[in-house]
Amino acid sequence: MKKLNKESLYGLLFISPTLLGFLVFFLGPIFAVLFLSLTRYDMFSAPESAGFANYAKLFTDSQLHKVYRNTFFFGAAAITLNVSLGLFLAILVNQRLPAFLRYLLRTVYFFPVLVGMIYAATVWKFLFNRDLGVINYYLHYIGIGPISWLTSSQFALWSIIFVYVWKNVGFTMLTTLAGLQSIPQDIYEAAAIDGARPFAMLRKITIPLLSPVILFNVVITLINTMQEFDSIVALTNGGPGNASRTVSLYIYEKAFRGLDMGYASAIAVTLFFVIALLTALQFSLSRRWVHYT
Amino acid sequence: MSNNPNTHALPGAGSTPRTRIEVWRYVSIGVVLLGCIPMIVPLLWMAVTSLKPGATAFDLPPTWIPKELHFENYSALFQSDVPIGAFLWNSIIISGVVTVVQLITSSMAGYAFAHLSFRGGKSLFLLMLTSLMMPLQVTIIPMYLIMSWLNLVDTHWAIILPLSTSAFGVFLLRQFFMTLPRELLEAARIDGANQWVTFFRIALPLARPMLATLGIITFTNTWNNYFLPLVFLNSWEKMTLPLGIFSLSNVYGSGNVAAIMAGVALAILPVLIVFLVAQRQIIAGLTSGAVKG
Repeated sequence: MKKLNKESLYGLLFISPTLLGFLVFFLGPIFAVLFLSLTRYDMFSAPESAGFANYAKLFTDSQLHKVYRNTFFFGAAAITLNVSLGLFLAILVNQRLPAFLRYLLRTVYFFPVLVGMIYAATVWKFLFNRDLGVINYYLHYIGIGPISWLTSSQFALWSIIFVYVWKNVGFTMLTTLAGLQSIPQDIYEAAAIDGARPFAMLRKITIPLLSPVILFNVVITLINTMQEFDSIVALTNGGPGNASRTVSLYIYEKAFRGLDMGYASAIAVTLFFVIALLTALQFSLSRRWVHYT
Repeated sequence: MSNNPNTHALPGAGSTPRTRIEVWRYVSIGVVLLGCIPMIVPLLWMAVTSLKPGATAFDLPPTWIPKELHFENYSALFQSDVPIGAFLWNSIIISGVVTVVQLITSSMAGYAFAHLSFRGGKSLFLLMLTSLMMPLQVTIIPMYLIMSWLNLVDTHWAIILPLSTSAFGVFLLRQFFMTLPRELLEAARIDGANQWVTFFRIALPLARPMLATLGIITFTNTWNNYFLPLVFLNSWEKMTLPLGIFSLSNVYGSGNVAAIMAGVALAILPVLIVFLVAQRQIIAGLTSGAVKG
C-alpha cells in the first residue's frame, strides 16, 4: 500500500527543516571530510588533489599518536570515574530524605552540569595555580609540596579529567538514581527472604538491573569526552608540550591555525571511524552484560 | 524523583535491626554532604573573589568572607577594553533566536515522527539520532567551508543556522508527543481539522511544559557554547560571552582575578536563577534518555 498520501506529505513537510539541517550540517559534512582528506587545502588557493598523502602522514605523525593516547586515556578515566562515582553517590542518596536536603543535594551536584565548561575551567585554572592557588595552599598544610597541576606532564591530563568529572558527576548521579528508584522493592524482599547478603544483592540484583542506565552513562560520557575542547583550551592549551592535547584540539589547530585543512580532515575521518567503531563495540558488548526488563 | 527509596539496595539492610539502618543512614548522608564541599568550593571561591579588590584578590591566605564588597568589579567590566556589554548582548540575541527556532523545528519534526506515518520514518529518525554521537570536530571543517562560501563567516548566522535544528530536541518532543492519545488527534481530524491545525491548535499547546524544558536546555547550551563562536567569529563586536570572558582572562591573567571572576559570575548568574526555579524540569528533560534505556 503506497504511503504517498496527504498524511505522509505533511509528515515530510514537518520534518523538512530538521532534515535540511541534518543533511547540510551533518551528513553532507561527513562526506565532505572524506573528500577533503584527499586534498591539500589551505583556504587561500583552491584545493589540490593530494591522493593518500594525508593518510600516509597519519602514520608518521608522532604528535598524533600521543594525542590519540591522551584522548583514549582521558575517555577511559573519565568514564570510569564518572560512572562509578555517580553510582556510588546515587546509592548513598537513595533513601527517604527531607525535601530541603533533596533540593540541596540536587542543586549542589547538578548545577555544575549547567555551568559552561569554559567558565568552570577558567575558575579551576586559578584554583590549580601552582604558587597562588588555594588547592596547593591547603595541601601545604598536610605536607604535600606544591604540585604543578597544569604545568607538569604528569598531572596535566589528570587535572582535565578531574574538572570533567567534577562538572559531570551530577548527571550520572541523577540518572543512576532514577534507575535505582525504578527497581521494585519486592525483588530485594524476596532475595532477603532467601537469605541473600547485602553486597550480594548489590552485585546480583542492583547492578544488573541498573545496567541500561550504566550503558547510557558510558555512552554519553564517551561522546562528551571525545569532543571535549573548552576545558583543555582554558586549563592547559594542550600542554605542557603535548601532555594534554586531545584529538579535538589537534584537529582544530591543524585546520584553523595551521591552515592544513586536508590533513585535519584526514584526522577527522579517523575520529569518525574511531567513534563508529567504539559505539558499535559498546552496543555489541552490551548485549552480554545489559539486562533489559 | 519518585518516592520509592530502595532501602533494601543498601548494604546493611535486609534482615537487620533498626539501629544498623540508622547508622547507615547517617553515614551515607554524611559522606554525601562531605562530597558537597568540593562541588561548592569552586563556585563559592569564584563568587567571593569577584567581590574582592582587584589588586589583592589572588593573595594568600585566602579569605572566604570578603571584608568589603567591591561591586565595582562588575561595573568595571562594562568599561574595560574588553566589550563585555556587547558580548552579553550578542549572547542574548543568539541564544534567544536559536531557542525559538529550535523549538519550532523540533516540535514539528517530533510531532511528525510521533504521529504522522510516512515511508522510512522510523529509520530516518534513528539516522538522525546518530548525529548525536559524532564529535563536532569531525564535521566542523566542511561546516566552516560552507559558511565561508555563503559569506556568513564572522556573522551570527554562522552560529544560529547549525544550531537551528537538533536531534536531541526532536528526540525529546517525539517522546512527549507519543504520550498524546491517538484518539485525541483523530477526533480533531474527524471534526475537519487538517494536519497543520491538529498540530498547531491541539498538540502543540499541550506540549508547553516540554517546550519550556527544551527551551531552557537549548538556551543554556547555546549560552555556554564556546567552540562554534571560536571557529566562526573574528571581530570583537560579534563575539559572545564565553569567547569574551575567556579573552578577558587572557588579557588580565593573574593580574586582576577579581575582574575575571566577576565576568564568570555574570555569565553564570542567569543560568543559576533559571536552575533554581525550574530545577526539576531541567533535570527531567536532560536525563529522560536514560530511564528508557
